[in-house]
Amino acid sequence: MGNPFVVAAGEVGGDFFKERSSGTLPCQADESHLFCFDWAKENIDRYGTPAQQHLEIVLLSVLIGFVVAFALALLAHRTRWLQPPLLAATGILYTIPSIAFFFLLLPLTGFGRDTAVLVLSAYTLQIIYRNTMLGLDNVPDSVKDAARGMGLTNRQILWKVELPLATPEIIAGLRVATASTIAITTLVVLISAGGLGTEMYGSNFNFPTAILIAVAIIALMVLAFDLLLLTAQRLLTPWRKV
Amino acid sequence: MSEQTASSVRYVEATKRYPGASSPAVDKLTLEVPAGEICVLVGPSGCGKTTAMRMVNRTVEISEGDVLVGEDSVRDREPAQLRREIGYVIQQVGLFPHRTISENIGAVPQLLGWEKDRIRQRSSELLELIGLDPELGDRYPAQLSGGQQQRVGVARALAADPLVMLMDEPFGAIDPINRERLQNEFLRLQAEIRKTVLFVTHDIDEAIKMGDRVAVMREGGRIEQYATPAELLMAPANEFVEDFVGADRALKRLALMRVRDIHLWEAPLAHVGQATGEVRAKLESPDVEVAFPLLVDAERRPLGWLSERDLAAEVVPGRPDSPLGPVLELDDVMRDALADLLQHETQYAPVIDHAGRIAGVLSVEIISEFLGSPEAKSDEHPAVERPHG
Repeated sequence: MGNPFVVAAGEVGGDFFKERSSGTLPCQADESHLFCFDWAKENIDRYGTPAQQHLEIVLLSVLIGFVVAFALALLAHRTRWLQPPLLAATGILYTIPSIAFFFLLLPLTGFGRDTAVLVLSAYTLQIIYRNTMLGLDNVPDSVKDAARGMGLTNRQILWKVELPLATPEIIAGLRVATASTIAITTLVVLISAGGLGTEMYGSNFNFPTAILIAVAIIALMVLAFDLLLLTAQRLLTPWRKV
Repeated sequence: MSEQTASSVRYVEATKRYPGASSPAVDKLTLEVPAGEICVLVGPSGCGKTTAMRMVNRTVEISEGDVLVGEDSVRDREPAQLRREIGYVIQQVGLFPHRTISENIGAVPQLLGWEKDRIRQRSSELLELIGLDPELGDRYPAQLSGGQQQRVGVARALAADPLVMLMDEPFGAIDPINRERLQNEFLRLQAEIRKTVLFVTHDIDEAIKMGDRVAVMREGGRIEQYATPAELLMAPANEFVEDFVGADRALKRLALMRVRDIHLWEAPLAHVGQATGEVRAKLESPDVEVAFPLLVDAERRPLGWLSERDLAAEVVPGRPDSPLGPVLELDDVMRDALADLLQHETQYAPVIDHAGRIAGVLSVEIISEFLGSPEAKSDEHPAVERPHG
């Protein structure tokens, strides 16, 4: 299929700069300008759809990654011997370079969002799995001993004691996973899955304004998710404020 | 208080084998703990005392033999159900950090499906019982001191009015001053609630203080002696027990005695305005061991010691030359009384009854004679009242 990078970039790039009726703006032509406000004002609406795509891919990937990693962690928590192989497996997934991962999957799953979500959720497994295990391991033995001695069943110990106490670590994992997924999602443009990467790779590299706007939106997204998760943690773990 | 229920605990050749271990951790343990008593399992580390204790709530599974709570074998019970009827207190407390104090105390009642109002009521009742401010109920465990946390640990174990309490070195991680306080508090509490308590410790002093009965154990959960603390100190069954109890066991006996249990000296009394000649005559009597007369008021309450200078006058002055120094009470524990004398660097001190009237004089000499006498070492001495009785 030739060079996929060219194919992908060509598809999304198109006539990126020429489609606006106002033509070339003064600051757009001047390469010494780092940021062209006039262009930004006129073109900000371009970012709506890519940002939405970006958000959807991130949410879907983190959600799927969380469900799978959480299930694996609970499994490994109950079946101790599974811990090393699961850690290794999620670790190996994490070491595959992302661009290679996308293109390796292309023959199997094709261009588009499914492949993107598949790869991105695979990347979140390692960090979410590891943090969930860490949180469960950090629950003091004395607390578990007391819980068992008081007559909590294993299931009650897991859901009423261990998981609530592991919440800070689990959310810490989600925060890192979400931030890195938001960043890597800029690459899914290469497999025609959209996202804010379209505004970066499809643009003229001599015109940083378009890229800077995408970067700013991404930074805001990271910040917003981080705050959201941090607030969730505060609400879920009131005992830690003391 | 509603707590009146307690069950006996009976070990019948209870054995615990761990896979791969050459000998059982607990080998055919047979032991009966009567309902409402504190039985202390004491012994060196690795003797199997904790394993033995944990057989009762099946946090350690019994390999052979049985443990009966009341008439029922614990082996016939579903472990989680069984544990909800047995209080459990451990050294590290193990409060749920994510639950408030009230929620911690209400944990077992919640498992048992009590109504919310009843749980809340029970929690505040227990907070009061252990002497914690009810306002602490809404705090989290991390906001409490170690001593307060352990009190909550005890309250949590008592919440559902258990038949039996298991306490595994409950005060072991507390500093000595607070440990003493918690021990005393628990004994006072126990006098009220009368639970059957299995109490594990490696500290023989704690065992003697806390136990109605003490089981001295060695490796394999073998019981070397099972007796009251007084018996243990007076008549150790063998060399192992003697060593474990320690060379100072006569001194430890003092912890079990009250001042009223020993023969006190008679105090030569003097009243204000009495002729000093009369008082001097009293001092010369052969039964009087005290060198100075004790000035008392009309109610025979001690006011102070008279000195040679006081006696040089015609009549006894109203204000004695020497201060009174420490005053002991008949109900004081003998060990504390001795500590008082030593701390004040005095040879003797007046002893008063509960009305404050003079009952006699206790001296370091009386105590040291008692410790040197065969009485202190044999079991001829009448059994003494438990300090918390």
